[in-house]
Amino acid sequence: MTTATDTPMLSPSFNLSRVIADAIKLEMEADERIVVLGEDVGRQGGVFGSTRGLQKAFGDRRVRDMPISEMAFTGMGVGLAMSGYRPMIEIMFVDFIGVCLEQVYNAIAKNPYMSGGRVPMPVVIKTAGGCIGSAAQHSQCLWGTFAHLPGMHVVAPSSPYDAKGLMAAALRSDDPVIYIEHKGLLLSKLGDFPHGAEVPKGRYTVPIGEAATVRDGRDVTIATLSASVRDALVAADELAGQGIDVEVVDLRSVVPLDADHVAASAARTGRLLVVDEDYLGFGLSGELITRVLELLGPGALRGIARHGVANVPIPAARSLEQAVVPGSASIAAAVRELVARG
Amino acid sequence: MTLDLMTYYRHMLRIRHFEEACLSGVASGEIHGELHTAIGQEAIAAGMVGILRDDDALVSTHRNHGHGIAKGVPLEPMLAEIFEKETGLCGGFGGHMHLFDPDRLFSTTGIVGATLPVALGHAYAAFLDGSDAVAVAVSGDGGVNTGGFHESLNLAGALKLPLVVLVENNDWAISVVSSEVSAVGSAERAPAYAAWGTRVDGTDPAAVAVAFAEAVARARRGEGPAIVEATAQRFRGHYEGDPDLYRTPELKEAMAAKDPLVIARRELEAQGIGTDHLDDLVAESQAQIDAILARVRAAEQPDPSRAHDHVFTGGVA
Repeated sequence: MTTATDTPMLSPSFNLSRVIADAIKLEMEADERIVVLGEDVGRQGGVFGSTRGLQKAFGDRRVRDMPISEMAFTGMGVGLAMSGYRPMIEIMFVDFIGVCLEQVYNAIAKNPYMSGGRVPMPVVIKTAGGCIGSAAQHSQCLWGTFAHLPGMHVVAPSSPYDAKGLMAAALRSDDPVIYIEHKGLLLSKLGDFPHGAEVPKGRYTVPIGEAATVRDGRDVTIATLSASVRDALVAADELAGQGIDVEVVDLRSVVPLDADHVAASAARTGRLLVVDEDYLGFGLSGELITRVLELLGPGALRGIARHGVANVPIPAARSLEQAVVPGSASIAAAVRELVARG
Repeated sequence: MTLDLMTYYRHMLRIRHFEEACLSGVASGEIHGELHTAIGQEAIAAGMVGILRDDDALVSTHRNHGHGIAKGVPLEPMLAEIFEKETGLCGGFGGHMHLFDPDRLFSTTGIVGATLPVALGHAYAAFLDGSDAVAVAVSGDGGVNTGGFHESLNLAGALKLPLVVLVENNDWAISVVSSEVSAVGSAERAPAYAAWGTRVDGTDPAAVAVAFAEAVARARRGEGPAIVEATAQRFRGHYEGDPDLYRTPELKEAMAAKDPLVIARRELEAQGIGTDHLDDLVAESQAQIDAILARVRAAEQPDPSRAHDHVFTGGVA
């Protein structure tokens, strides 16, 4: 992640969505096969601004506003890919995936396999997830849902640097990539991010499938991703004052899942807490802990815990929401509880 | 554009014999999953022959073999795929509902109604390319009541995309009578999508060809989407093994009278073609499929060690 000091950088006053739009623009300039289809991606430039300027730059053939017909335009991604294009399909909120999951998990994800490798699906599904106080149908993450279904890479960046590099990697990948940006981060200014805030102006990629340690520590490893990385870093600062030294690992992708990186960290610290803003059951936390234990052996760690959205829908009232969605305070409490166990 | 009846008869024989070869694979256990044949509906696929180019996309359904044959997909790899062989079109990873021939832009999906959105993407690609290629989505009469049918035709109409929807109406969505659960027929929906629509007798290959060629020609000229609804009979159950108790013996007998091969043969005989000659054609077609079937049967299933290939381009993750 180091860059030369003379590399031109994006302004710290930019927000994250503008960085993502910038990443898409650079890749579209380099590869005319990339086309963008979605609701409000053109004239408005995305409801969060993460496709701003693209239609102006590339015209309405390559950046096309779609009707509220997710089944149709997600399926268009399949046909476009089979015709040699590299479509990026925007599903405004990840919660809406239910209306078009068919084309995502039965076609985009499986056509490469079902065709015996003859039909690649270089499709990016770009979508916004995460909790923003909008309750059960507009605040989910759902990366575990995609990850459970074979055939899709699933990325969820936490920082501006990764958001740009992972978007570039997704658009250059010959595999389907689900790119889940966090609604709660999109409008944050680069200067407000605790890590990865410096973003080069030029093109670069962050490899899909590699976790990154964003804070070194000795006592406990927190493995998490997306906006929870920021919350984990806040919790770590608080815990440092209480004599607990926390290492924070940003998974960056759910598929591929870099369990090796997490296992190496947990083997050093002896404790692992997986924090997941997605649903707790049958998801990322159970999968990651299982893989770490498969790598290290069942008795390798002093403590293992997970902290996610217990299997309830996201509630509306702030008091209820805070009771179920991990935040920096609840993460700190989960770490203290883990350490107190021994 | 139509071909002569003798040529259509040959195409229909090839499709019928191909489908019967598949039936033998179910009976022998070589095909161990669901199989859906289009026996009784051969005239529709035969009517499509020669109208599409390699750069026209064709996206078909779970009942797809005839369409693949019409698009020019080689018979042996297609039959081998259906027979789960490593020599199959997709190496045995897809099976009969998931056939892909990227060289001819032919693909299928086993999900009812899911063909239209994919074909719409091909149509948009043709628009981006500035090409006069068209995209064809096949649907059954059940698929026309999915949301994707409406979404795709609306968008194709709005953007004047070259999407041709070929509806094979056999009136049975498994056991549900489609006309009882549809407000109007498929062809009648065309005006709602600024599309051209027509209904034809799907037991008459020449009638199908005239309608399908017109739809394709309009789409090629940039006149937007079209719906061609072809009526025919599905002689077998929905899938092999379907007890098909929802249709009475009397109904099945009445359906059998609409066998497109019987109708065509009767017409050829009326034109003075000798019975011996027609019998020779049947034997010739049968021998061709038998030879292919023998080679397919001799091929191996894919090696089990390959079960994890192709999930991702770089391997499994």
